[in-house]
Amino acid sequence: MSPVIGIVIEAIIKSALMVFVLATAFAYLTLAERKIAAFVQVRKGPNRVGPWGLMQPAADGIKLLFKEEMVPAGADKVLFFLAPILTMIPAMVIMAVVPIGPDVELFGRSIRLGISDLNVGMLYILSVASVAVYGIVLAGWSSANKYSLLGGLRASAQMISYEIALGLSIIGPIILAGTMSLQGIITAQQQSTWYVLWQPVGALVFFLAGLAEVNRAPFDMPEAEQELTAGYFTEYSGMKFSLFFMGEYIKMVAVCAIATTLFLGGYLGPYVEQLPWLGILYFTIKTTALLFLMIWIRLTLPRLRYDQLMAFGWKVLLPLALANVVVTATATVLLG
Amino acid sequence: MSEEERNVVAPEQVPVADSIVARFGNALRTDDRDGYEGYVVSVESLKDVATVLRDELGYDYLSSVTGVDYFDEGKIEVVYHAYQTSGGPALNFKVQVDRENPILPSLVSVYPGADFQEREIFDMYGVSFEGHPNLRRILMWDGFAGHPLRKDWQEAYFEEENKPFDSRWPGGDVKRSEAENRFGKNVSYPDEFDIDNWAPEDDSSLYAGLNKSGSNGKKLKTDSLVVNMGPQHPSTHGVFRMVVALDGETITDLQPVMGYLHRNHEKIGERNTFLQNMPYTDRLDYLSSMSNNLGYSLAVEKLMGVDVPERAEYLRVLMAELTRVSNHMWAIGFLLNDLGAFQTPALYAIRARELILDIFEATAGSRMMCNYMRFGGVARDLPDTLRDENTVDFIGDLVNERLPAAIDELDRFLTGNEIVRSRCIGVGVLPADKAIAYSTAGPLLRASGVPYDLRRAEPYSIYDRLDFEVCTRSNGDVYDRYVVRIDEMRESVKICQQVMREIPEEGEIFTGKPQYNVRVPKGESYGRVENPKGELGYYVVSKGKTNPYRYHVRAPSFINLTVLGEMCKGHKVADAVVILGSIDIVLGEVDR
Repeated sequence: MSPVIGIVIEAIIKSALMVFVLATAFAYLTLAERKIAAFVQVRKGPNRVGPWGLMQPAADGIKLLFKEEMVPAGADKVLFFLAPILTMIPAMVIMAVVPIGPDVELFGRSIRLGISDLNVGMLYILSVASVAVYGIVLAGWSSANKYSLLGGLRASAQMISYEIALGLSIIGPIILAGTMSLQGIITAQQQSTWYVLWQPVGALVFFLAGLAEVNRAPFDMPEAEQELTAGYFTEYSGMKFSLFFMGEYIKMVAVCAIATTLFLGGYLGPYVEQLPWLGILYFTIKTTALLFLMIWIRLTLPRLRYDQLMAFGWKVLLPLALANVVVTATATVLLG
Repeated sequence: MSEEERNVVAPEQVPVADSIVARFGNALRTDDRDGYEGYVVSVESLKDVATVLRDELGYDYLSSVTGVDYFDEGKIEVVYHAYQTSGGPALNFKVQVDRENPILPSLVSVYPGADFQEREIFDMYGVSFEGHPNLRRILMWDGFAGHPLRKDWQEAYFEEENKPFDSRWPGGDVKRSEAENRFGKNVSYPDEFDIDNWAPEDDSSLYAGLNKSGSNGKKLKTDSLVVNMGPQHPSTHGVFRMVVALDGETITDLQPVMGYLHRNHEKIGERNTFLQNMPYTDRLDYLSSMSNNLGYSLAVEKLMGVDVPERAEYLRVLMAELTRVSNHMWAIGFLLNDLGAFQTPALYAIRARELILDIFEATAGSRMMCNYMRFGGVARDLPDTLRDENTVDFIGDLVNERLPAAIDELDRFLTGNEIVRSRCIGVGVLPADKAIAYSTAGPLLRASGVPYDLRRAEPYSIYDRLDFEVCTRSNGDVYDRYVVRIDEMRESVKICQQVMREIPEEGEIFTGKPQYNVRVPKGESYGRVENPKGELGYYVVSKGKTNPYRYHVRAPSFINLTVLGEMCKGHKVADAVVILGSIDIVLGEVDR
């Protein structure tokens, strides 16, 4: 067996596993959100399907699969079909560069836990994240629905504004680590400490901009239920709808995973050098904690208004992120 | 109580009578029909009289406008009730027009609050108001033929004029209306109407009336967009529709469209006996059925001249104030939902409401559709035990401990919240003069700085003996409406505490013998209460029979909507939702 075939097989298996894990994460994230919401709101939450409602996601999935798919008469059929896919795929492929554990020995091979380690990993993440906005804008445009159109417009404006703050906030860790590779950033954190201590402002800006990027409350403008019914996916039903749903939750997971990698030391934790498999556990715990924070925020806060959101992005987050970059760069140069 | 009230009212009306009767001479005369009060104005001088009333005599608040079809006399009467916002009784003036050719001057230019009410009269009676800016049907659909509240209009499958109907199965001979021809004798169409080829009118006339010019003053050329928010929309609290003209995200015009839940409550009310209407009033503002009962009881009691026993009065006030607390809890919870909070504040807000509903259920038999009050008292006394506790202790614990704690909790978490403040302050501002002119009522009016609360302005029941403040704020924005509701809940709890201290331990709860079919003396009366949503009025005309000749509801939610478009202009789409939420409407009452 030539080494190339081995690498290909390894990549295929890892990708398939990643898709499976993300799909499961999506399913149980929806359940977790409903359970946490119930807990916060003094309710019981889903508890009919399986013990503690554990089979609820499966039931939901089956329901959505068998639902009638409706396409509005005035819709642009091709784009209408393409949009959910365009939202879903980038959310999935972002995770390709995120290392979820250190290298492990398996079947006599050293296997990296993580699909790939690009040396421009952060650039890859930013560019793929920008593609995701096309899905939303096209969904809003192609639905031939005014709510969808407004939702799509809001989404494009919001995502473009917040992407700048997002991009600036990750420059801090890159400067500190001296590399764009996510594996490199983790290794650098291993040598110093978690970057959330060196980069508290950067971490905050990243998290807030990330919330806006994945359209979570209080920045869920594009789908503001009370204003635009469901925003850009008003006209979607059945499996197309669930693709949007999936894309959104997987993006949540991706943002939290990236935040973990950049600021919380990724898979690092006690004894991880002796027992590399522990890395996955630490990574999962950290990511889950961030996901819980996102859900908690959604359950607590009302929504900002569209113009307030834009003002916050341009007038608060962007200057903050810029200042952070300047301070970090200066400090790095001065202190070596 | 009714006799006393009339005696108090009479001397105050004398100077008014003198000054305007002298001025208008023949154009204005006292209504001398048996059991009627107020003045009859001639059609020509209606507008002048209204202007004088508003500008010179201080009757700045037009509470209610409604019509009555006096079929036998061939007249349609339009009845106006105007008040002074400084307090005091109503000035009731009427104008009569020929049934066949009813044309009246519109009072919208004098009292903008007459807008929707005149449209309703146009819809229901076919009275044409000259000079009305937008005279279209409001509750019925545009293609509807006829005017349903006219006495000669009969609904499909009409049976009889008044309930109780005769047996529908005389001698066991079952007849089903479905089996009848769809063109059967009870269903009438205009001659030219072709049911098989009829297509509904589109809304182009509605859209054409919208102001679509953007007012942002920018050089950028923009197109306006008309969006229908509703009838099926998560923010409208029911089936309500806002036609919004947008310039970007900014609202240039907003036109409310309603009637999707219309069931002609008033026509049903005229078929029913007086008492049969009581459970129907529950379904108006279904969140505050106790207050609805109270208003209707007051109106009919005024006509009947019965007194209410002391204990029953206390029970009524207790129930009405608990209703206010539960309604405001709901209103605040859903305002937060409209702000985009994910149900959490709403669910916390209605936790305490659940205990109030327990009291209602134990006392009246139903959580929401209470049907509790009767003419001359209440239906049942408090039960002995409630949730295995002594009822008095339960209520005492609720009003002294749990409700204040629940209100404090809301106050603590919401009032200072940064996002709530930034979304609510300065949004949907309604200045005091406009609030009065548009006949808004309740928290909407008081948040604009007008200390007008019926419980003080024209006390009914035992409110004159109770100690409470009229809560006002001065900015008239969404935030102030929210704060006024929080304050009002505190005052209501205070009233409940007093009631629980002072309520007579024993005593009658009903005057006279309970009977199904009360006979109400001839006359008209207007009973009004301070409902949680605002002034709820019932205009009842009796002809001495067992059913009302006219039964009109002045629904606060409906009339408060008159000003919605005005408040939303220039704000963002998201604000329209919040402003609507801050008015606190219930569609059961808006559409009736």
